[in-house]
Amino acid sequence: MAFDMTMALYRPALRYALQHNGHGAALGITLDRLERGETYLTLPYSEAIVGNPITGVVHGGTIVSLLDTACGCAAMTILKRPSVTPTMDLRLDYMRPAQPHKPIHVEARVYRQSSNVIFCRGLAWQDDKESPIAHCVANFMKVDSTSIQFRSIAAKKLRRLLPWSQRPLNREDANR
Amino acid sequence: MTAENSSNPVLLDWQERVVAARLERDPQSIMDLIPYASFIGAETKTEDNRVLYWLDKRPSNIGNPSLPAIHGGVIGGFLELSATIEAIYSLDIIDMPKVVDFSLDYLRPGRFKTIYARCQVLRQGKNLLNVSATAWQDDEQIPIATARCHFLI
Repeated sequence: MAFDMTMALYRPALRYALQHNGHGAALGITLDRLERGETYLTLPYSEAIVGNPITGVVHGGTIVSLLDTACGCAAMTILKRPSVTPTMDLRLDYMRPAQPHKPIHVEARVYRQSSNVIFCRGLAWQDDKESPIAHCVANFMKVDSTSIQFRSIAAKKLRRLLPWSQRPLNREDANR
Repeated sequence: MTAENSSNPVLLDWQERVVAARLERDPQSIMDLIPYASFIGAETKTEDNRVLYWLDKRPSNIGNPSLPAIHGGVIGGFLELSATIEAIYSLDIIDMPKVVDFSLDYLRPGRFKTIYARCQVLRQGKNLLNVSATAWQDDEQIPIATARCHFLI
Protein backbone atom coordinates (compact mmCIF):
# COMPACT_ATOMS: atom_id res chain seq x y z
CA MET A 1 0.00 0.00 0.00
CA ALA A 2 1.24 3.45 -0.86
CA PHE A 3 2.31 5.82 1.87
CA ASP A 4 -0.66 7.91 2.97
CA MET A 5 0.48 11.35 4.08
CA THR A 6 -2.88 12.41 5.55
CA MET A 7 -3.09 9.26 7.64
CA ALA A 8 0.49 9.70 8.83
CA LEU A 9 -0.54 13.11 10.17
CA TYR A 10 -3.87 11.95 11.55
CA ARG A 11 -2.50 9.03 13.57
CA PRO A 12 -0.43 10.94 16.17
CA ALA A 13 -2.99 13.77 16.33
CA LEU A 14 -5.93 11.45 16.99
CA ARG A 15 -3.88 9.29 19.35
CA TYR A 16 -3.01 12.38 21.37
CA ALA A 17 -6.62 13.69 21.31
CA LEU A 18 -7.92 10.30 22.45
CA GLN A 19 -5.43 9.21 25.06
CA HIS A 20 -4.61 12.51 26.76
CA ASN A 21 -7.88 14.44 26.68
CA GLY A 22 -11.21 14.40 28.43
CA HIS A 23 -13.24 11.24 28.54
CA GLY A 24 -10.87 9.05 26.51
CA ALA A 25 -8.11 9.65 29.04
CA ALA A 26 -10.52 9.09 31.95
CA LEU A 27 -11.55 5.70 30.54
CA GLY A 28 -7.98 4.78 29.60
CA ILE A 29 -8.78 4.01 25.96
CA THR A 30 -5.84 3.09 23.75
CA LEU A 31 -5.76 3.52 19.99
CA ASP A 32 -4.42 0.26 18.56
CA ARG A 33 -4.70 0.84 14.85
CA LEU A 34 -5.97 3.56 12.56
CA GLU A 35 -6.42 3.23 8.83
CA ARG A 36 -8.55 5.20 6.38
CA GLY A 37 -12.14 4.48 7.51
CA GLU A 38 -11.06 1.90 10.08
CA THR A 39 -10.36 2.24 13.81
CA TYR A 40 -9.31 -0.27 16.49
CA LEU A 41 -9.54 0.67 20.16
CA THR A 42 -9.08 -1.16 23.48
CA LEU A 43 -10.70 -0.38 26.81
CA PRO A 44 -9.01 -1.87 29.90
CA TYR A 45 -11.18 -3.21 32.72
CA SER A 46 -11.43 -1.01 35.80
CA GLU A 47 -13.50 -1.13 39.00
CA ALA A 48 -14.57 2.50 38.54
CA ILE A 49 -16.69 1.83 35.45
CA VAL A 50 -18.64 -1.16 36.80
CA GLY A 51 -22.35 -0.89 36.01
CA ASN A 52 -23.65 -4.06 37.59
CA PRO A 53 -22.46 -4.34 41.21
CA ILE A 54 -23.85 -7.89 41.42
CA THR A 55 -21.69 -9.34 38.66
CA GLY A 56 -18.94 -6.71 38.31
CA VAL A 57 -19.57 -6.19 34.59
CA VAL A 58 -18.70 -2.76 33.13
CA HIS A 59 -21.60 -0.40 32.43
CA GLY A 60 -23.13 -0.37 28.95
CA GLY A 61 -22.44 3.36 28.83
CA THR A 62 -18.70 2.72 28.53
CA ILE A 63 -19.39 0.55 25.47
CA VAL A 64 -21.50 3.41 24.06
CA SER A 65 -18.57 5.81 24.62
CA LEU A 66 -16.09 3.37 23.15
CA LEU A 67 -18.10 2.63 20.01
CA ASP A 68 -19.05 6.28 19.53
CA THR A 69 -15.37 7.26 19.74
CA ALA A 70 -14.28 4.48 17.39
CA CYS A 71 -16.96 5.26 14.79
CA GLY A 72 -16.25 8.99 15.10
CA CYS A 73 -12.53 8.44 14.50
CA ALA A 74 -13.24 6.20 11.51
CA ALA A 75 -15.60 8.83 10.07
CA MET A 76 -13.03 11.59 10.56
CA THR A 77 -10.33 9.76 8.60
CA ILE A 78 -12.61 9.53 5.55
CA LEU A 79 -12.75 13.29 5.11
CA LYS A 80 -10.38 15.03 2.76
CA ARG A 81 -9.85 17.99 5.07
CA PRO A 82 -9.76 17.84 8.88
CA SER A 83 -13.14 18.82 10.30
CA VAL A 84 -15.69 17.71 12.88
CA THR A 85 -18.15 14.89 12.35
CA PRO A 86 -21.04 15.26 14.81
CA THR A 87 -22.98 12.07 15.52
CA MET A 88 -26.56 12.01 14.23
CA ASP A 89 -27.63 8.78 15.85
CA LEU A 90 -26.27 5.60 17.27
CA ARG A 91 -27.91 2.24 17.77
CA LEU A 92 -26.37 -0.43 19.91
CA ASP A 93 -27.34 -4.09 20.26
CA TYR A 94 -25.93 -5.99 23.21
CA MET A 95 -25.59 -9.55 22.05
CA ARG A 96 -24.08 -11.16 25.13
CA PRO A 97 -23.06 -9.89 28.55
CA ALA A 98 -19.46 -8.74 28.89
CA GLN A 99 -17.21 -10.65 31.26
CA PRO A 100 -15.56 -8.81 34.16
CA HIS A 101 -11.77 -8.37 34.49
CA LYS A 102 -11.16 -8.52 30.75
CA PRO A 103 -10.40 -5.71 28.30
CA ILE A 104 -12.91 -4.86 25.56
CA HIS A 105 -11.71 -4.52 21.96
CA VAL A 106 -13.56 -2.44 19.43
CA GLU A 107 -13.44 -2.19 15.67
CA ALA A 108 -15.24 0.48 13.63
CA ARG A 109 -15.57 0.77 9.87
CA VAL A 110 -17.09 3.26 7.47
CA TYR A 111 -19.23 1.28 5.04
CA ARG A 112 -20.75 4.07 3.00
CA GLN A 113 -20.39 7.80 2.60
CA SER A 114 -22.75 10.08 0.76
CA SER A 115 -22.39 13.81 0.16
CA ASN A 116 -23.72 14.69 3.62
CA VAL A 117 -23.71 11.55 5.74
CA ILE A 118 -21.10 8.98 6.78
CA PHE A 119 -22.43 5.52 7.73
CA CYS A 120 -20.39 3.47 10.22
CA ARG A 121 -20.56 0.04 11.79
CA GLY A 122 -18.84 -1.01 14.99
CA LEU A 123 -18.16 -4.27 16.80
CA ALA A 124 -17.08 -4.91 20.40
CA TRP A 125 -15.62 -8.21 21.60
CA GLN A 126 -13.52 -9.66 24.42
CA ASP A 127 -11.94 -13.05 23.69
CA ASP A 128 -13.18 -13.92 20.27
CA LYS A 129 -14.14 -11.54 17.50
CA GLU A 130 -16.54 -14.20 16.18
CA SER A 131 -18.64 -13.95 19.36
CA PRO A 132 -19.03 -10.19 19.83
CA ILE A 133 -20.60 -8.60 22.92
CA ALA A 134 -22.09 -5.64 21.05
CA HIS A 135 -22.72 -4.33 17.57
CA CYS A 136 -23.48 -0.74 16.65
CA VAL A 137 -24.54 1.37 13.72
CA ALA A 138 -23.76 5.08 13.83
CA ASN A 139 -24.35 7.87 11.32
CA PHE A 140 -22.35 11.07 11.18
CA MET A 141 -22.91 14.42 9.51
CA LYS A 142 -20.26 15.95 7.30
CA VAL A 143 -19.75 19.50 8.52
CA ASP A 144 -18.01 22.07 6.38
CA SER A 145 -14.69 22.72 8.04
CA THR A 146 -14.57 26.42 7.13
CA SER A 147 -17.43 27.20 9.51
CA ILE A 148 -15.55 25.76 12.48
CA GLN A 149 -12.06 26.92 11.62
CA PHE A 150 -10.26 28.94 14.24
CA ARG A 151 -9.87 31.88 11.86
CA SER A 152 -13.58 32.29 11.10
CA ILE A 153 -14.60 31.83 14.76
CA ALA A 154 -12.01 34.40 15.87
CA ALA A 155 -13.16 36.85 13.17
CA LYS A 156 -16.77 36.44 14.28
CA LYS A 157 -15.85 37.09 17.92
CA LEU A 158 -13.72 40.09 16.95
CA ARG A 159 -16.59 41.55 14.93
CA ARG A 160 -18.79 41.36 18.02
CA LEU A 161 -16.14 42.98 20.23
CA LEU A 162 -15.08 45.86 18.01
CA PRO A 163 -17.94 48.26 17.26
CA TRP A 164 -16.05 50.14 14.49
CA SER A 165 -15.37 46.97 12.53
CA GLN A 166 -19.08 46.11 12.48
CA ARG A 167 -20.17 48.48 9.71
CA PRO A 168 -17.59 47.81 6.98
CA LEU A 169 -17.87 44.07 7.47
CA ASN A 170 -21.65 44.21 7.32
CA ARG A 171 -21.53 46.33 4.14
CA GLU A 172 -19.17 43.84 2.61
CA ASP A 173 -21.62 41.05 3.44
CA ALA A 174 -24.51 43.04 1.96
CA ASN A 175 -22.60 43.66 -1.27
CA ARG A 176 -22.24 39.92 -1.77
CA MET B 1 -32.05 -20.56 40.20
CA THR B 2 -33.97 -19.44 43.31
CA ALA B 3 -31.68 -21.41 45.61
CA GLU B 4 -28.67 -19.93 43.89
CA ASN B 5 -30.10 -16.43 44.20
CA SER B 6 -30.88 -16.74 47.87
CA SER B 7 -27.35 -17.90 48.63
CA ASN B 8 -25.70 -15.00 46.84
CA PRO B 9 -24.95 -12.39 49.54
CA VAL B 10 -24.18 -9.65 46.98
CA LEU B 11 -27.57 -10.08 45.31
CA LEU B 12 -29.37 -10.20 48.68
CA ASP B 13 -27.62 -7.03 49.79
CA TRP B 14 -28.56 -5.36 46.48
CA GLN B 15 -32.22 -6.35 46.79
CA GLU B 16 -32.36 -5.10 50.36
CA ARG B 17 -30.93 -1.71 49.40
CA VAL B 18 -33.23 -1.37 46.38
CA VAL B 19 -36.33 -2.10 48.48
CA ALA B 20 -35.14 0.43 51.08
CA ALA B 21 -34.56 3.05 48.36
CA ARG B 22 -38.10 2.58 47.02
CA LEU B 23 -39.58 2.93 50.50
CA GLU B 24 -37.59 6.05 51.28
CA ARG B 25 -38.23 7.52 47.80
CA ASP B 26 -34.52 7.97 47.38
CA PRO B 27 -33.30 6.91 43.91
CA GLN B 28 -29.86 8.39 44.67
CA SER B 29 -29.12 5.47 46.99
CA ILE B 30 -29.55 3.08 44.02
CA MET B 31 -27.29 5.32 41.96
CA ASP B 32 -24.65 5.15 44.71
CA LEU B 33 -24.46 1.37 44.29
CA ILE B 34 -23.29 1.71 40.69
CA PRO B 35 -19.62 2.75 40.38
CA TYR B 36 -20.10 4.05 36.80
CA ALA B 37 -22.52 6.72 38.12
CA SER B 38 -19.84 8.34 40.27
CA PHE B 39 -17.31 7.88 37.46
CA ILE B 40 -19.28 10.22 35.17
CA GLY B 41 -20.81 12.21 38.07
CA ALA B 42 -24.51 11.42 37.58
CA GLU B 43 -26.98 12.31 40.32
CA THR B 44 -30.72 11.99 40.83
CA LYS B 45 -33.60 13.12 43.03
CA THR B 46 -37.38 12.87 43.16
CA GLU B 47 -39.37 15.96 42.24
CA ASP B 48 -43.21 15.97 42.33
CA ASN B 49 -43.38 12.16 42.04
CA ARG B 50 -41.08 12.17 39.03
CA VAL B 51 -37.40 11.40 39.00
CA LEU B 52 -34.95 13.98 37.69
CA TYR B 53 -31.43 12.98 36.68
CA TRP B 54 -28.55 15.35 36.12
CA LEU B 55 -24.90 15.26 35.17
CA ASP B 56 -22.69 18.12 36.36
CA LYS B 57 -19.98 19.36 34.04
CA ARG B 58 -16.61 17.72 34.53
CA PRO B 59 -13.36 17.99 32.55
CA SER B 60 -13.18 14.18 32.34
CA ASN B 61 -16.48 14.10 30.37
CA ILE B 62 -15.28 16.30 27.52
CA GLY B 63 -15.19 14.71 24.08
CA ASN B 64 -14.07 17.58 21.90
CA PRO B 65 -11.68 19.84 23.83
CA SER B 66 -11.67 22.64 21.23
CA LEU B 67 -15.39 23.52 21.49
CA PRO B 68 -15.60 22.25 24.38
CA ALA B 69 -18.43 19.73 24.07
CA ILE B 70 -19.51 16.84 26.27
CA HIS B 71 -18.56 13.43 24.82
CA GLY B 72 -21.48 11.88 22.92
CA GLY B 73 -20.73 8.57 24.60
CA VAL B 74 -21.07 10.17 28.03
CA ILE B 75 -24.52 11.50 27.08
CA GLY B 76 -25.41 7.99 25.88
CA GLY B 77 -24.01 6.36 29.00
CA PHE B 78 -25.82 8.85 31.22
CA LEU B 79 -29.16 8.22 29.47
CA GLU B 80 -28.66 4.46 29.64
CA LEU B 81 -27.85 4.74 33.34
CA SER B 82 -30.90 6.96 33.93
CA ALA B 83 -33.15 4.48 32.12
CA THR B 84 -31.75 1.61 34.23
CA ILE B 85 -32.29 3.51 37.49
CA GLU B 86 -35.82 4.46 36.36
CA ALA B 87 -36.61 0.79 35.68
CA ILE B 88 -35.20 -0.42 39.01
CA TYR B 89 -36.73 2.38 41.05
CA SER B 90 -40.21 2.65 39.57
CA LEU B 91 -40.94 -1.02 38.87
CA ASP B 92 -40.84 -4.08 41.04
CA ILE B 93 -37.70 -5.67 39.63
CA ILE B 94 -35.44 -7.63 41.95
CA ASP B 95 -32.44 -8.27 39.69
CA MET B 96 -30.44 -5.86 37.56
CA PRO B 97 -32.28 -5.41 34.21
CA LYS B 98 -30.26 -6.47 31.17
CA VAL B 99 -29.95 -4.01 28.30
CA VAL B 100 -30.83 -5.60 24.96
CA ASP B 101 -30.56 -2.59 22.71
CA PHE B 102 -30.06 1.10 23.00
CA SER B 103 -30.81 3.71 20.39
CA LEU B 104 -29.70 7.30 20.68
CA ASP B 105 -30.48 10.36 18.58
CA TYR B 106 -28.30 13.42 18.98
CA LEU B 107 -30.34 16.55 18.37
CA ARG B 108 -27.97 19.29 19.49
CA PRO B 109 -24.36 19.41 20.69
CA GLY B 110 -23.93 18.94 24.43
CA ARG B 111 -22.26 22.11 25.64
CA PHE B 112 -20.02 22.20 28.71
CA LYS B 113 -22.92 22.63 31.17
CA THR B 114 -25.11 20.50 33.40
CA ILE B 115 -27.23 17.98 31.49
CA TYR B 116 -30.68 17.06 32.85
CA ALA B 117 -32.71 13.99 31.95
CA ARG B 118 -36.11 12.48 32.52
CA CYS B 119 -37.20 8.93 31.72
CA GLN B 120 -40.49 7.24 31.04
CA VAL B 121 -41.36 3.56 31.06
CA LEU B 122 -43.37 3.24 27.85
CA ARG B 123 -44.25 -0.41 28.16
CA GLN B 124 -43.70 -3.17 30.64
CA GLY B 125 -44.20 -6.68 29.30
CA LYS B 126 -43.61 -10.01 30.92
CA ASN B 127 -39.98 -10.15 29.81
CA LEU B 128 -39.34 -6.91 28.02
CA LEU B 129 -39.30 -3.31 29.11
CA ASN B 130 -39.24 -0.22 26.89
CA VAL B 131 -37.89 2.96 28.48
CA SER B 132 -37.40 6.32 26.79
CA ALA B 133 -35.08 9.03 28.06
CA THR B 134 -34.70 12.67 27.06
CA ALA B 135 -31.79 14.96 27.90
CA TRP B 136 -31.74 18.76 27.89
CA GLN B 137 -29.54 21.60 29.15
CA ASP B 138 -31.26 24.99 29.38
CA ASP B 139 -34.87 24.28 28.59
CA GLU B 140 -36.79 21.03 28.87
CA GLN B 141 -38.55 21.94 25.61
CA ILE B 142 -35.21 22.02 23.76
CA PRO B 143 -33.80 18.51 24.10
CA ILE B 144 -30.18 17.75 23.18
CA ALA B 145 -30.64 13.98 22.86
CA THR B 146 -33.32 11.32 23.09
CA ALA B 147 -32.78 7.63 23.75
CA ARG B 148 -34.85 4.49 23.70
CA CYS B 149 -33.81 1.42 25.59
CA HIS B 150 -35.05 -2.19 25.75
CA PHE B 151 -34.43 -4.20 28.89
CA LEU B 152 -34.82 -7.90 29.57
CA ILE B 153 -36.23 -8.54 33.02
